Amino acid sequence: MIAAAPGLRASAALRARLADLYGAYDEALGEGQYERWPDFFTEACIYKITSRENYEAGLPIGLIYAESRAMLADRVAALRKTVLYAPRLMRNLTAGIVLRSIDADGMRLSASFAVFQTMLNDPSTVFLVGRYYDRVVDDNGALRFAERICVTDSTLVPTSLIFPL
Amino acid sequence: MAAADGGAIHPVSARQWPAAGPSRIPNWVYTDPDIFAREQERIFQGPNWLYVCLDAEIPNPGDFTRSKLGAREVVAVRGMDGQVRVLINRCAHRSMQFCSANRGTATEFTCPYHQWTYDLDGNLLGLPFRRGLRGLGGMPEDFRTEDHALERLAVVSRHGVVFASFAQPNQTLEEYLGPTMLGWFDRVFSGRALKVLGYQRQRLPSNWKLMFENIKDPYHASLLHVFLVTFGLFRMDQQSAVEMDDTGRHAVLVGRRGEQKANEATAQMRAFHENLRLADPRLIDPVREFPGEATVVMQTLWPNLIVQQQSNGLAMRQIVPLDAENFDLVWTHFGYADDPPEMTERRLRQANLFGPAGFVSADDGEAMILSQLGIAGNEAAEGLVEMGGREVADVPHTVTETAIRGFYRHYRAVMGL
Repeated sequence: MIAAAPGLRASAALRARLADLYGAYDEALGEGQYERWPDFFTEACIYKITSRENYEAGLPIGLIYAESRAMLADRVAALRKTVLYAPRLMRNLTAGIVLRSIDADGMRLSASFAVFQTMLNDPSTVFLVGRYYDRVVDDNGALRFAERICVTDSTLVPTSLIFPL
Repeated sequence: MAAADGGAIHPVSARQWPAAGPSRIPNWVYTDPDIFAREQERIFQGPNWLYVCLDAEIPNPGDFTRSKLGAREVVAVRGMDGQVRVLINRCAHRSMQFCSANRGTATEFTCPYHQWTYDLDGNLLGLPFRRGLRGLGGMPEDFRTEDHALERLAVVSRHGVVFASFAQPNQTLEEYLGPTMLGWFDRVFSGRALKVLGYQRQRLPSNWKLMFENIKDPYHASLLHVFLVTFGLFRMDQQSAVEMDDTGRHAVLVGRRGEQKANEATAQMRAFHENLRLADPRLIDPVREFPGEATVVMQTLWPNLIVQQQSNGLAMRQIVPLDAENFDLVWTHFGYADDPPEMTERRLRQANLFGPAGFVSADDGEAMILSQLGIAGNEAAEGLVEMGGREVADVPHTVTETAIRGFYRHYRAVMGL
């Protein structure tokens, strides 16, 4: 379900396309299909994970800070080929998606996310929760994220962040 | 997990360090709560200079930031005279933590419980109903506000970095670091004004000393860190060195960037991928900004700080021990106030290598967790630290664990082990 900000007209068809984008994103990450992840973004995208603390203070650092789809592909290649980590499953749930505005630069949306982590033989735990601030554009017929800023409520990452949010 | 091997059975006084000395590390140093308690007392509250914050975080009078030195939380605040005070975050009345914001600006601190109010020096200014109400109650006649200031630490700062101590060390910061470490420290902190780029925190279920060992251990870097190895950011076949201060408590790993080309050394590194290429090479696009040939300088400063300079990625990593088997690592990423925008961009991109999600440091976090898991239940076993010999000495290479031995030589002396 995609809500629209008061006064904003958004057709059922557009909302359905956005719902498909958000649903497919959660599915790809929840199923560990990280090779699909860069394709949700435009070539010149911005993708960043930061905390509410940094975001509100205007501090630019990111846990992940990417300025192109190629950097996202490098992140996937690194986590597949170079990074040591204990086996785990991550599950992304996105909810409360709101279409906030539409202009020449694309559509601005925000949504809440919750990411759960399950380490092998351990119970599932809440890993991070927060809010996405997104700009979505029509990229040659496909909706893609031109910008996705993931703002975590907690300043603290439990252990390490291996996979994107 | 430590209980079976804990204080009741093995009081600290009965602990025996392995006869081989600092080339062996008994596993109980990573799990025993009594050892942890002694570390708090002798190391974190001992006569050492502990990292608190950067001057740039609290540039103006009244600006404050919270920090944690060992188990004790402090507030660093810039006074009206421009000097930094470090106050224990504990009201003198009933021990309430009076400051709960991470940072901000204040003219005074008021404890929310009974509104005892302190100035920025920590002096008690006043409290409600001190003289009672209509002749009833109030504090005793002999109550003096002067007797109830906030606890204040000794503070020193050098070139924008603030340190404090619970026990006034008999050494200046410069003496405490020693000439070798001071030289490397001043290389990054030359007096140029700093700019904070942001904070990251992670909680690692492992003993705090494993973090220090990790950054004092260049042996693992050439093997574990595929990313560093492949792209030549830190590797044994490069010109490199390990240096320490006289005590062995501080150390530095120094390296120079090399090529992504196979050779005799890379043949022993399964981590080396000659053909791995970045789709967006801007991630590793370093420019030289410090004098000399070194491109990576990792300093471990006893007892709670790692100063990271890897290419243009600069960060303070503050170690905050929580208990024997958990610590928080607090990252403060920074650049210089006069960095042009493209340099800030470069630092932000390179920060992808570091922090809780770093291509390199996420490996370290995972390695420390797995180390602690291997130690748990195996407290009678010991770690072997013999790479590069059994002695403690500076060396012009990184095929060594000498800095870990230096750390434990000092640790044993301080801990009486």
